[in-house]
Amino acid sequence: MSRLARIASAGAGALLALSAVADPEECRRLEPTDPAGADACFRELLFDPAAANRAEAAWALGDVAAANRAFRVAVREADDDAAIRVRWGDLFLAIDQAADAEGLYREALARDAGFAAAKLGLARLALGRFDTRAETLANDVLKADPTNAHARLLLARMALEVGDLERARQELVVPLTATELPVRLDAMALAAAMDHIAGTAPSAWEDRALELHPRYGALHETIAHFYIITRRYREAIAQLERAVALDPKLWSAHATLGANLLRVNRFAEARRSLARAHDGHPYNAEVVNTLRLLDSLETWDVLDEEGLVLRTDPAETEALAPYVQRLVADGVRVIGERYGYVSSEPVVVELYPHHEDFAVRTSGLPGIGILGATFGNVVVMDSPAARSVDDGFDWASALWHEVAHVVTLGATRNRVSRWFSEGISVMEEWQTGPSRYQAAPDVDAEHAGRRAVPVSVIDAYRDGRLLPVASLDEGFIRPRYEGQVGVSYTQAGLVCEYIGFAHGQQALARMLVAYGRGEDTADVIRTALGVDPAALDEAFAAYLEDRFDGIDPAAFAVAVAQARGSATAGNWVAAADAARRAIGSHPGSVAQPSAYPILAQAEEQLGRREAAIAALLAYWRAGGRTTEPLAQLAAWLEEDGRRGEALAVRRDLALVAPLDGDHRVRLADLLMATGNTRQALAEYQVHLSLGPRDVAHAHYRLAQAYHGLGDIDIARRHVLQALEIAPRYRAALDLLLEISQ
Amino acid sequence: MNVMGSSVARRLRRGSSTAALSLVLAAAAGAETHALIVAGLGGEADYETAFTTQAEAAADHARAAGSAVALLTGQAATRAGIAAAIADIAATANAEDVVIVHLIGHGSWDEEHYRFNVPGPDPTAGDMARWLDSVAAERQLAIVATSAGGAALAPLRRDGRALVAATRDGREKNAVVFGGIWTEALADPRADADKNGRISAAEAFRFAEEGVAEYYASRQRIATEHPLLDGDGTGFAVALAVAAGEAPAVTEVADADPEVAYLVRRVDELTGAIDALKARKRGLAEDDYFTRLQVLLMELAGVERQLREQRDESPMASPSRP
Repeated sequence: MSRLARIASAGAGALLALSAVADPEECRRLEPTDPAGADACFRELLFDPAAANRAEAAWALGDVAAANRAFRVAVREADDDAAIRVRWGDLFLAIDQAADAEGLYREALARDAGFAAAKLGLARLALGRFDTRAETLANDVLKADPTNAHARLLLARMALEVGDLERARQELVVPLTATELPVRLDAMALAAAMDHIAGTAPSAWEDRALELHPRYGALHETIAHFYIITRRYREAIAQLERAVALDPKLWSAHATLGANLLRVNRFAEARRSLARAHDGHPYNAEVVNTLRLLDSLETWDVLDEEGLVLRTDPAETEALAPYVQRLVADGVRVIGERYGYVSSEPVVVELYPHHEDFAVRTSGLPGIGILGATFGNVVVMDSPAARSVDDGFDWASALWHEVAHVVTLGATRNRVSRWFSEGISVMEEWQTGPSRYQAAPDVDAEHAGRRAVPVSVIDAYRDGRLLPVASLDEGFIRPRYEGQVGVSYTQAGLVCEYIGFAHGQQALARMLVAYGRGEDTADVIRTALGVDPAALDEAFAAYLEDRFDGIDPAAFAVAVAQARGSATAGNWVAAADAARRAIGSHPGSVAQPSAYPILAQAEEQLGRREAAIAALLAYWRAGGRTTEPLAQLAAWLEEDGRRGEALAVRRDLALVAPLDGDHRVRLADLLMATGNTRQALAEYQVHLSLGPRDVAHAHYRLAQAYHGLGDIDIARRHVLQALEIAPRYRAALDLLLEISQ
Repeated sequence: MNVMGSSVARRLRRGSSTAALSLVLAAAAGAETHALIVAGLGGEADYETAFTTQAEAAADHARAAGSAVALLTGQAATRAGIAAAIADIAATANAEDVVIVHLIGHGSWDEEHYRFNVPGPDPTAGDMARWLDSVAAERQLAIVATSAGGAALAPLRRDGRALVAATRDGREKNAVVFGGIWTEALADPRADADKNGRISAAEAFRFAEEGVAEYYASRQRIATEHPLLDGDGTGFAVALAVAAGEAPAVTEVADADPEVAYLVRRVDELTGAIDALKARKRGLAEDDYFTRLQVLLMELAGVERQLREQRDESPMASPSRP
């Protein structure tokens, strides 16, 4: 069951005033102390003349379909009754059908515009989506009724999710003294979670809640939620195991347990938990999707060696495995050394060729990256088949980013704040990753590693929309403007870059140590950097002022548009001039649309090949990885006899587009031509594994490489395979004669 | 209108170019290939340009492959123009000749008739079938690289006539990318799957079919066209595919040199034996199969080398490519 469903369940029973006779509340009151009696009470209620009561009874007994039918009858019988619609909406929320739930809450508000329960239903929906409108709706309810405990509960939960313990504590005052037991229990669960977040577990609130309701599994489910959103999956699993032990019918906890067991690579146990959840609650789409995903994963390749467990679609294994092995090994070593962390566990990497499968693995997490996610030592990513580098997905850089998470999460036992972990990962992409910024030979070292950032970040800084560092997590979890998550990623990277620049690399390592001790961001800044958060913000702003000095986003946009327009019209002098102005307005910007490829095209059209090459070299060194410009650059460099540089570009091209056989085979050809026969052979093997259109030619090339390495028997076999397809393939016939002589 | 007269083509075939000598794939000696390539109405400037460019490229490749080419573009590509061009072919082609008609552009289907969109009245698939039926050439190829092209298959189907359509039926009405990808295939040596130096219609089709599928998959779009090949497209050369400085494999002998004739026959025998061996592959142990294959291929390699030496020594030899 999803987060939405858990919230709905937690609130169940709190809004009832449906019938004076055989009240569902009476049955519910029996649940803590007399579950059999509660069941009997609800079974009796199944024959209640009021359809709404029958619906509540069926729901409580786990018959969701019957509950749904009864609610339908109930609203027909009492069309004006907003409360019944809200409860029906709650049912849909509980079974993860958010759209239906939302429709019913809105129908309820259409009948009673001020109906608090309906507003709170919408607030729960928003809360489940980590949408800040939840706060607005809850405050709206409190305006009319400042003592509304349900609204306070929502606000407390929201405060806890962003780590604002003080505010959460204030919001819990009213719910902790509520007369309704479910509200009190929910409040106690949040209070217990607060203690866990603060590192003072076990919490006294746990005992108090269980005294009131010995089978209150939702207590541990709530605590688990806060471990999950702070990426402490092992702690979450322990809580969820306690939740289902207390309440074996808490299907949402079984489902969450299954999802989190997957996140720590415990597949067999995960499948059992998910199957249990599905048996009890077959309507949960997330569970169904995850079980289907697990079925498909059974056919995948699993490589387990040298500190890496790699799960890949068999069609992609040969093309991706060598790269993943190298990136993970290098990343763990390079990044680990920078932060003084040696991983004791293998890194698990799963690469999904279908984005939907990646989405299943990461559902229910706030502000999850669209590129990849790391659960401790488990990295889950789209493979390059899901999205290409030309669509903005540089998978190799993304994997480097995730490996940095493995380091920061491992070094802090998952206690690192979201912003800092992301910041380190982004900065490592810029400074040590496979698509890192490389200073041109004539640029002094002081400016190396300062990769251009998106215009949106510069605009956000100048508009005052960057968050203080101490509350930067909110930019990931509850974004308040379009694009804020992306801005927050880059801001976090810039903050880390600044700290490394101003306080030294060791300061970043000290911050990790402080997070590992359980300190919050404000304390980490004080203890590791020796400054107050406000002072850090001030110094960071001054750093950005300098870093963004001279960058003119508006002029850049105008110049790029002019360059593109002139290029389209074939006015190459104007295109080159505008492209140069664009580069001057925002040097090093390689995000699309970039001015460098336009400048290169214009220079080539004007007969200035050397200048064209220089433009694309600048693009490549600045981290540009779009395939067409790089392929053009490699071709020009080869034509120019600059094979060493061409090889470096072709290696990058094959890395960022590893499933494109053309790039792989061109790299292989160049490797052959430069005497790197063994590496060429590996590339030719990958090329063949990718199902090339020209299979005969692929075998012929392999034969050439084997022949070059003196492995005559395998060379002969490949040349025969080429000729089997194309018997009159002249070059292959000649090679066969040569091999056989 | 750009027409290379068939007399010119005959002269080329019998002339001094070794490439020309060997251009017509699997055709009987003396047979000609007549190609009519038409760029239909684009409706928009981008389509007009694309269709004309594709048609011109296809015409260049057809000429290089030894065909006599009639090219109709722009205002010349009318129903009457097409009918006249086919009538011209009918006037010169004999039964052994090969005829290729290649339509590029937009097509439509009204649940009954396929129509190729051109300036003025549109010709239907029925018109095309009637006109082509008047041509004596028994081996014909129609390439309908248009939207709704699949609707033209049924009216055009006839013994000896291979058909290529950009779509599987008339319901696929969106503008197609097949035509452009087919043109790319003609210029891509990878399309020459059997490496004989020529791209047959069947090879171009397979290449283009994969290209269309990749086009939609890479953009994560539902494919709105599914190309079809109806009949045997292997006997129609639509382009050359040889590296610079090379000539395609010799498949036909125009001159009565008995030694060359023997070698060509031996090539046929050996490739036939290889095909037969491949058909038995499942029944043989892998090593045994490849040992037998190697024996045949070694001989074939030797014969091919002799053929090349013969050609290089021939007074008609020319290092140039068409």
